Amino acid sequence: MSITALPPTTTPLFERISESKKEDVVRDLSALLGAKYVLHTSYDLMLYEYDASIDRCTPDIVVMPASTEDVAAIVKIAASYNTPVVPRGAGTGLSGGAIPVYGGIVIVFTRMNRILEIDYDNLRAVVQPGLVNLHLSNALNPQGFYYVPDPSSQRSCTIGGNAGENAGGPHTLIYGVTTNHVLGLEIVTPEGKIVQVGGWTQDTPGYDLTGLLIGSEGTLCIVTKIIVRIVHMPEAVKTMVAVFDTMDDASNTVSEIIASGVIPAAIEMMDQMILQAVEADTHAGYPMDAAAVLLMEAEGLREGVAEQVEQIVAVCNKYHARAVRIAANETERQLFWAGRKNAFGAVGRISPEFYVQDGVVPRTRLPYVLRRVSEICASYGLRVGNVFHAGDGNLHPLILFDSHIPGEIERVRKAGHEILEVCAEAGGTITGEHGVGIEKQEEMALIFNEVDLRVMQQVRQAWNPHQLFNPGKLFPMPGRCADIKQL
Amino acid sequence: MGDIETFAGDLQTFASTALVTSEADTLRNYAVDGILPRFVVTPTNVEQVGHIVALANQHGLSLLARGGGSRMSVGGLPEQIDVLLETNRLTRILEHEAPDLTCHVEAGLTMAALQARLAQKGQWLALDPPDAAQATIGGLLASNASGPKRLRYGSARDLVIGLHVVQANGELSRSGGRVVKNVAGYDLNKLYIGSLGTLGIIVDANFKLHPLPIAERTLLLTFTNAGDAMHMVIALLGSLLTPSAIELIDSGAASDMSDFFGVHLPTNGYTLAVNFEGGAVTIDRQLDETRQLARKHAALMVDDLAGESQSHFWEAIREHTQGSVTCKVAILVSQVAPYLQTVEQVCRRHDLEAAILAHAGNGILFIELRPSDATPRLIEAIAELRSYAKEARGSLIVERCPVDLKRRINVWGEPGSDFFLMQRLKNQFDPNGTFVKGRFVGGL
Repeated sequence: MSITALPPTTTPLFERISESKKEDVVRDLSALLGAKYVLHTSYDLMLYEYDASIDRCTPDIVVMPASTEDVAAIVKIAASYNTPVVPRGAGTGLSGGAIPVYGGIVIVFTRMNRILEIDYDNLRAVVQPGLVNLHLSNALNPQGFYYVPDPSSQRSCTIGGNAGENAGGPHTLIYGVTTNHVLGLEIVTPEGKIVQVGGWTQDTPGYDLTGLLIGSEGTLCIVTKIIVRIVHMPEAVKTMVAVFDTMDDASNTVSEIIASGVIPAAIEMMDQMILQAVEADTHAGYPMDAAAVLLMEAEGLREGVAEQVEQIVAVCNKYHARAVRIAANETERQLFWAGRKNAFGAVGRISPEFYVQDGVVPRTRLPYVLRRVSEICASYGLRVGNVFHAGDGNLHPLILFDSHIPGEIERVRKAGHEILEVCAEAGGTITGEHGVGIEKQEEMALIFNEVDLRVMQQVRQAWNPHQLFNPGKLFPMPGRCADIKQL
Repeated sequence: MGDIETFAGDLQTFASTALVTSEADTLRNYAVDGILPRFVVTPTNVEQVGHIVALANQHGLSLLARGGGSRMSVGGLPEQIDVLLETNRLTRILEHEAPDLTCHVEAGLTMAALQARLAQKGQWLALDPPDAAQATIGGLLASNASGPKRLRYGSARDLVIGLHVVQANGELSRSGGRVVKNVAGYDLNKLYIGSLGTLGIIVDANFKLHPLPIAERTLLLTFTNAGDAMHMVIALLGSLLTPSAIELIDSGAASDMSDFFGVHLPTNGYTLAVNFEGGAVTIDRQLDETRQLARKHAALMVDDLAGESQSHFWEAIREHTQGSVTCKVAILVSQVAPYLQTVEQVCRRHDLEAAILAHAGNGILFIELRPSDATPRLIEAIAELRSYAKEARGSLIVERCPVDLKRRINVWGEPGSDFFLMQRLKNQFDPNGTFVKGRFVGGL
């Protein structure tokens, strides 16, 4: 069975497409895009049945449009055959947002990956959804600018996917997440209409549709163009690693740094299990016997950074940091970050599989919640590692498991659910940046009541009433794709 | 027309402690663009707001929410207002989690009262709109008010982390939460902010807070022409200096500020006010480098403000963004200088005068047009200014104007190609048209 509990099965939203209908759809799509850009054999489709979450489901057809007009035409074809459409960036999502739970057509944006415009005077860039996040900053860096949101997967994830999930990253602590950096979108509606929302300027008259669409997980529209804000690179960056002998000391340090009004650019925490995995993988020089390490970064003008570093070090010392190391140069800084950004991958060295949660809690509750996370996992006999955005209170417990052990998946699922219950009770939320997708549909009820959920569903009703786009996501739903694969 | 008598009777039953008035003299104080409500109801708690809205909905009455009343001029002419719901008794600070830098407050609290409370713990809500003493949290959010410091901190959309909103059927619903990072479900906070009460009534809000700056200074620079001033702005934005606010003041606005606020600025050319916040050492360097940059852009140094004179200056700036005929223009920063020339030409052509303040780093201009009773000339000038704003990838809305003028123009301009999507949202959220129509974009 899947890691997420299957909701009660009643009538599914969509029937799986029949072979003969599929042939017709493939023919129409091939006429539009050329056969080369329409994948439909099971061999070709297999790559698109999963993302970085745990569920999987094979699409019937994968298409690769080259333009907004292509996307609009694809949507019209899909609508005429009543076949669902799921947009997909790089497939790095962690909540199943890109998994086509009813099959249908998956739109892949690899051919729409261009930077259309960069305007340094007005600090704007216009990009296509398939552009890899890091490629934008790479293009801006020579002029001294960059694009702020930096998910750990930024070397492969796309800005379209970031917009769909409202992606965060380590440096969102002072600068905000994707929604704080997007001013406008070009979108395709379920009718196949191309619409501009927001724009280049601020405060466009009318409802803030851009704000509504960012993080809507592909359930309202398909984004075909994104207008983003770019910013100047900081003059000085100091990266520090503080080493602690207890988790409590590390989390109290985080909460005191924030409370004191010093807001660094990033505060990341890694616990012992993660440190061991990371060291084996990246050799970043992290101590393997420490209970926890904080990776912190101060940036801005030289003078301000010096002041911040002093304050941060003082707090670390107050909470008995065994050592505080400041990266001596850019190479060492990159190494520290490589350790952090590769952490999920590194865990593969110590466990065949892991399940990551994404709860957020008020920062002052971190010590309590982290203790509860270890208690919960211990009570299920599961190992857990923590690597997360501590400054935002955004937890990423990685529960390690092996699906070959009977009953293990069920225990992992229960532990994950209990962790999110604790986050909700502590005044937090069930997802800070990974999205709800199919993974946390049931957990929506931990933080939203029936009225809250109904109001949200009104939005989907207004935009995507027949759930042509990304059906069966976000809300508890009856019925699922029959061939969601078992682990 | 709804059944107003049974509504009044039912109110007694369901919201007995709410204050209800239908006295003509009182109602006149609550007129919106000359339209008098038939009832003013002042609930004393959130539950009553729900009851009142539900009753209005059931009786087919139209309802409009009002905070401190400082922004009622925003928007088109309202259609009939049966019930005006005043939120100013909902003033509780539900939580100020100082160590988390968050707070949770009711919508009727004034901005000034909130800031005073937060300041006790060395924090503030980083929004600096006009009229802090009168304006309420709910009203500010519903009308998306902001001020000069949005350059650094963003606007309401960047600071709100959760809302409770009474829906058109009277039910209370939550969006977001009380943590700073949250992607669970649709981000409805964004939808309610600036929706002018057309989708629901904001009854309380959770905010992300900031520490009060350790120090703050403002440099005043004067330029003989707009081009130099805006080149300076672009240079500042593209530099490392990270100013918190950059305000551009034209000669018309400068003489207003001298007449009304006793702030004396050169009354020819353009003044640029550049504000920095942070540690003292850092600010010294920021000011130094700004002065160097200013010299390159042919600026004259006017003043270096701190303390009282600085607070008074920014107070004057905030209040000046509201006059009798105020157009708010949002355009690209690089287009501000040419746009200022256009304003001059348009005014000359129509024999009008302008006083302009701009959040120059955001490309947001507040253009005060005079005389305010020159209706036919104003209509033409506004139409021209709007079309130039559109050419500069922007928009023009008329934030304040006399009712005479409002009857004859569209304060928002023609809705864009995304309007049908806004209509669908409105139909979903308010199918019976309970929230007063006419004021929002496209008459929503």
